[in-house]
Formats: sequence, structure tokens, C-alpha cells
Amino acid sequence: MKVFLKNEDLKKLLARFVQEGRLFAPVRRCGYSGWDRVSSVDEVVLSREQAILQGEEVNTREPAKIFVFPRSETLFEFEGEEAVETGEIPELVVFGLRPCDGRAMAFLERFFVGNGPEDPRVRQRREKVTLIGVACNSPADSCFCTAVGGGPHENKGLDVLLREVAGGFLGEAVTSKGEELLTGFPEATAQQDAEAEKLKANAEATLALKIDLNRLKAALDNGFASPIWERLTLECVNCGACTFLCPTCHCFDVFDETVRGRKRRSRIWDSCQFTLYSQHASGHNPRLNPAARYRNRVMDKFKYTVDMLGEVSCVGCGRCVRVCPAGIDIRVAVAEILKEAAQDGR
Amino acid sequence: MDKVARLRQRAKELLEKQEVVGVLGYRASSRPGISQVAFITKTEEVDRLIFDATCSQNLANYLLKVKDKGKVAVVARGCDSRSIVVLLQEKQIERGQVYILGVGCEGVIVQGEKSVSCRSCQYPNPVIYDEMLGEEVHFEPEKVEDEFDRLTPDERWQILSAEVARCIRCYACRQVCPNCYCPVCFVDASMPALVGKTHNVSDNMVFHIMRALHMAGRCVECGACHRACPMGIDLMRFNRQVAKIVRERFGLVAGAKPDEMPALTVFKPEDPQEFIR
Amino acid sequence: MADSSGFEPKIVAFLCNWCSYAGADLAGISRMQYPPNVRVLRVPCSGRVDPFFILQALQQGADGVLISGCHPGDCHYLTGNYVARRRFAVLHDLLQFCGLEPGRVTFAWVSASEGERFAQLVREVTDRVRKLGPNRKLKKE
Repeated sequence: MKVFLKNEDLKKLLARFVQEGRLFAPVRRCGYSGWDRVSSVDEVVLSREQAILQGEEVNTREPAKIFVFPRSETLFEFEGEEAVETGEIPELVVFGLRPCDGRAMAFLERFFVGNGPEDPRVRQRREKVTLIGVACNSPADSCFCTAVGGGPHENKGLDVLLREVAGGFLGEAVTSKGEELLTGFPEATAQQDAEAEKLKANAEATLALKIDLNRLKAALDNGFASPIWERLTLECVNCGACTFLCPTCHCFDVFDETVRGRKRRSRIWDSCQFTLYSQHASGHNPRLNPAARYRNRVMDKFKYTVDMLGEVSCVGCGRCVRVCPAGIDIRVAVAEILKEAAQDGR
Repeated sequence: MDKVARLRQRAKELLEKQEVVGVLGYRASSRPGISQVAFITKTEEVDRLIFDATCSQNLANYLLKVKDKGKVAVVARGCDSRSIVVLLQEKQIERGQVYILGVGCEGVIVQGEKSVSCRSCQYPNPVIYDEMLGEEVHFEPEKVEDEFDRLTPDERWQILSAEVARCIRCYACRQVCPNCYCPVCFVDASMPALVGKTHNVSDNMVFHIMRALHMAGRCVECGACHRACPMGIDLMRFNRQVAKIVRERFGLVAGAKPDEMPALTVFKPEDPQEFIR
Repeated sequence: MADSSGFEPKIVAFLCNWCSYAGADLAGISRMQYPPNVRVLRVPCSGRVDPFFILQALQQGADGVLISGCHPGDCHYLTGNYVARRRFAVLHDLLQFCGLEPGRVTFAWVSASEGERFAQLVREVTDRVRKLGPNRKLKKE
């Protein structure tokens, strides 16, 4: 059932979480927006369309994955022989993530929880977070979710999807957590539903890029030795910006340290773009060449995760395109790969 | 003939005569307002070369990547040329390996605004070059003045901590910097690990302070790091201050004069020591 | 201020082997009294001191850091302290700019014969750091 939340009603709903100190929402920083724990509900620009007009980007810089897979987390600590209690995983509510991030969350859940040995921390964090997504009515020119199987009004991976219409939001519960959140709100009218559908169609119309994912997979299956990788990556500086801001990138390292006598083991993000990522203890590095590292990323998104889990893990959020200091565009890489494959008759 | 036309013509000539194996410059990217680095090796591709206010990378960084291919031509503004001077002084490249196409610059524009490093630029024109593409540029540098220096120590620490708290340690700043070419950066050291790698404000602060210190006397304040940061951290705050300290204490500016070695590689018996007991 | 709480600062001292460490040693042999708050780390030369050591000491819980070497012109390795002097100048100014309290990090030249001067230096530094209170800014949690 689709419900309608007036702007004031949504504000009241979120205010409850703000009071409990557990709401995270996009907050404007200079030139973009980031996730912040909100201390006053007035800090939150409910209308994401309004936020964009005020200078925020269509999506936050940090992906929503930080709520289930943070930049770093302490796995355990001990002093001498005594284990030290590390913090409990808090209950959080995240407002304002986009359908692409939602889809990414679903992917991360599959990767960490539904795929062999389960990662208890990711599972716990996902259970304790409520994801209130907001559909995109105005995708950016760097967005391409429809090209990779997603959409600006998709609800996969979210608990609730809100779709902005006149006066408020259409709300769709996706999970039982979402249903609980939306109880008590009036049913949306047919008119409001139609309005949301129209906005969805308009948004989809702006997302012109199409990628034949099957052909791409086939091209990558045979593209390991292609000279294309060198050509595509002279300007890549091998920082970790693309991987760290990617909503589905999930590689991590385990880091041990002693902090003033206390031994601590942490899990931290790692990036296949770093030279050290593939460094062997012997000193050999199979991916010493920057082009090899870039190839790994593209292959992982469009081939390896397909082989492993049956799905492409790029969600088309466009963050890597926006933040790359070298201006590298994964859409261009994909187009080049397909073009080369076509030329070779593959 | 305008700068870009001249650049393309010269690039073509240098490649045809095989004086260089490639020309390092800029080209348009898939998105408006953003440029990419280009390494043109074929004469039919010289028309891809551009030069305008969207060119935000410091090409000296890429020189280190391509120097082994043979003699290379490189487009260089004031800041890039000073970085090249520093690399020459530090023996990372040889003068004979580079053909410098100098060009004056009026500043990099990002999202409609002049980059903070460019507003106070004192070196818009290259300090070394093999030839100039077009006229020198002259403009009044802005004085970067703000409240920061007048704040209390606690307030300053608070602001800087808040900045570096956003750092996700992607090292984009380090990777785009021509001075950061250590085979193993201090943050990647292990056995023993030097700086913690977690998302910790203290470690982030140490990373940024130490990187700024490693840049002392070498940083040309090009702003490439600042523009590369995906989290919008005010990196120029650190780098500008270190450059200022070096200028005021030792009268030196990184790369400004090829025969003046970087400040921390030389010393004078009468160096200031009022801060030492 | 912080005295009443009984706070005793931990001060890490990097002393160059040939001058400052010898000076400290002389203070010890001559039974000069100075506060026990200082933990000494012997380095071959003040030029060996990487600014990172100072930051790491503060991260790991030091409340103050003292770095001391030979007087300019007297370096056992001839030029180590000259190189160090420039490095320390930049570090000192940058830390001050960032908002670290002046007096937490102290640089000095102490020669092998300056036992009493070393003791006096430690007394002054300990006193000053005690008044500044525990280091919170760079301390790692």
C-alpha cells in the first residue's frame, strides 16, 4: 500500500529519531553533501529537489555503505590478557539515500551475509539500521542507474522508499521494518500516485545511457590481455577515491596496532587501486602496473561479481565519475571495451 | 595564433621530427568543465590537446610516469614548471629528458570559481621553458586573508580537526602531487607501522601534518591536492602555511629559481633559532 | 590550574648521543636533582629526529616532548644539527599554527658539559607542561 506523508508529518517522524540522537541525513558541505548525525530536524532539507537547488549534489559523497561497512571499525581490543569491551552497534535511521545506494546495500548484504561464511558485523549493522530512501526526480548528468539494471524510483535494498510529490512524499514500505514506520499514514490518492509515476518517467527519460551488460560481460571474459587497459589509464593516479566512494566496493584489510598499551585489531577499507593491495609477502606484486589495477576494478564490477553472485555490482551512482581527480569516466571505459570487442568481432 | 593552436602545431612538429616520443598535456574529458591528462604520441591526435581554465592536474606528476619512454614534451604553467624544477633539483628527472612548452596561466576554475590556490598565485608564468606558447600573463594576486590567524590555538585546532576528521585516507592528495614519489610512503610502512590506518582523527591529523612537512620547501602550492580531495578538505590551509613559513624563515620559494635548492636540503650557519633554548 | 589534581606530565626527551645525552649523564653523575617526569631516548644526532617521532610521542600519550642536540658548530657529524634546525623551525611554526599549545614541544641545544643547564631545562619544561595540563589534542584514542 502506498501512503502519503505531508511534509510536516515526515518532519515529525524524523524529529522523533533526532531526539533519540540516531538520525543521519545528507547535510550540505561546501559544494557537495555528506552524512551527518542530525542534532536538529531543521538541519535536514527534506525536499531533496530543494537541496539540489541549494547546491548539494544529487547524492552524498560518502555512500550509504558506511552504515553497514564503516571506513574502519574495531574488531576487538585487549589489554594484557583482558579483553576490552568495544562499543555496541547502535540503532540508526538513515534518511535521504538514493535508490542506487539502496541497491548497493542489497548487494553488500548478499556479499557479506548470503554468500558463504557470514559477516556478523555487517549483518548486525543492517539489522539495526533503518533505510529511508528518497527517489530521484532529477538525476545528474553523471548518473546512469538504468544502464545497469536499476532505476531512479527503485526500492530494492531499502526499508522505505519516499517519492517526492507536491506537498510531501509518497511512501512505500519495502520491508516489515518499513511497514512499521509507515503505519498510521493515510493512503495515497490515485492522483498522487499518477504524479509520482510521471516524475519517475521524466527522471528515466533523462537517463539515456544504455549498456548491453551481457555483451560487456562477454567482452570482459575475453578482454584480460587487451591493450585497452593501458590506453584507458595513463592518467589514473591510483588513489582510492573511486573505490572508497563506490557504494558496492567491499574490500577490506585487517590492521593491528597498539594504542597506548591497548592492542587493537580493526577492519579498514582497502582499495584494489593501491599498490600494496596485491603485494605478496615475497615482494612480488602481480598488479604492479596501474593499468592492471584499473582493469581489476572494471572487471570486478561487470564480470567478477556476475561470476560470483550473478549480478553486476556497479549501480550507476556516478560517484567515481564525479570524484576522480584524473577525470576518468567508467562509462567511457565500458564504451571503449564494447567498441573494441565489436571491432574484433566478439 | 592563439595558445592552443600554437600548442597543437608545435606538438605535431616535435612528434614528426621525432624530437620527442610524446607530448604531455591536457584533453577534454567526458564531462564539461573537467579536463584529463593526455599523452599524445601520434601526430593525428594532436588536436585533442587543449589548454584552458579546466586544466586542474599538475603535469609534473605525470612526467615521472612517462619519463622512461624517452624524451617527452610537457605543457607547463608557473606551478607545473616550478614542480619540474624541484624534480630536477632532486634528480628525479634530467633536463635533457624534457622539452618544456611554457604557457602563462590565469588560474584553474572549478565549479565556476577560481581555485583557492590560484587566487593568490605569484607565479602564473613558467620559470623555465624551452619555448613559450603565447604571451606571459599578468594579474594581481589576491591576498588570502581570513580570520584563522586571529583565532585562539584551541579554536584553530578545533577547525583543523574537523577538517581532517572527514579524511577517508584515499590518498588522492598524495597521488596527484608531483613531490610525493616515495616508493613506500610513510603511511604505508609496516613492520613497524608508523601511522595508524583507521578512521581516527589523531592519525589523520598526523598524516596531514607530516605530508605538509614533507612538502616543506618543495610544495609549489599548485592546489592539485586540494582539488583532488573527494571530501573537500581544505588542504591548502596546511600547504600554504608551510610555504609561508619557509618563505619567511629562509627567504625561499620552492622551485622559483633552479639554482636555489629546496629549503630543507640546505642550511646556513646563521639560520634563525630564536625558538631553540 | 592542573597542579591541584596531582597531574604529573610525561615528557619524552630525544637527546643526541654526543652532547645532550652526555650532558644529561653529567647531571646524573653530579647528583643534580631534576624532576623524574622525563623519559630519555638516545639518538645519534639531533638530525636523526624525524618530526614524526615528536608527533607519535604525543599520540601515544606524552604530554610534552623535548628535543636537544649539540650547539651549532659542535655537531659530532659536523652538519646534522644544522639540517635539524631548519626542520625543527618548520615543525615548531606549523604546530603552533595548528593550535598545539606553545611549550608542549621544546627544542634546545645542550652540550656535554652543561649538566646543570640540562637539569634546569628539565625543571622548566616539566613545570610548563604541568601548567598546560594533559595533552589532549594529538592524543590517540
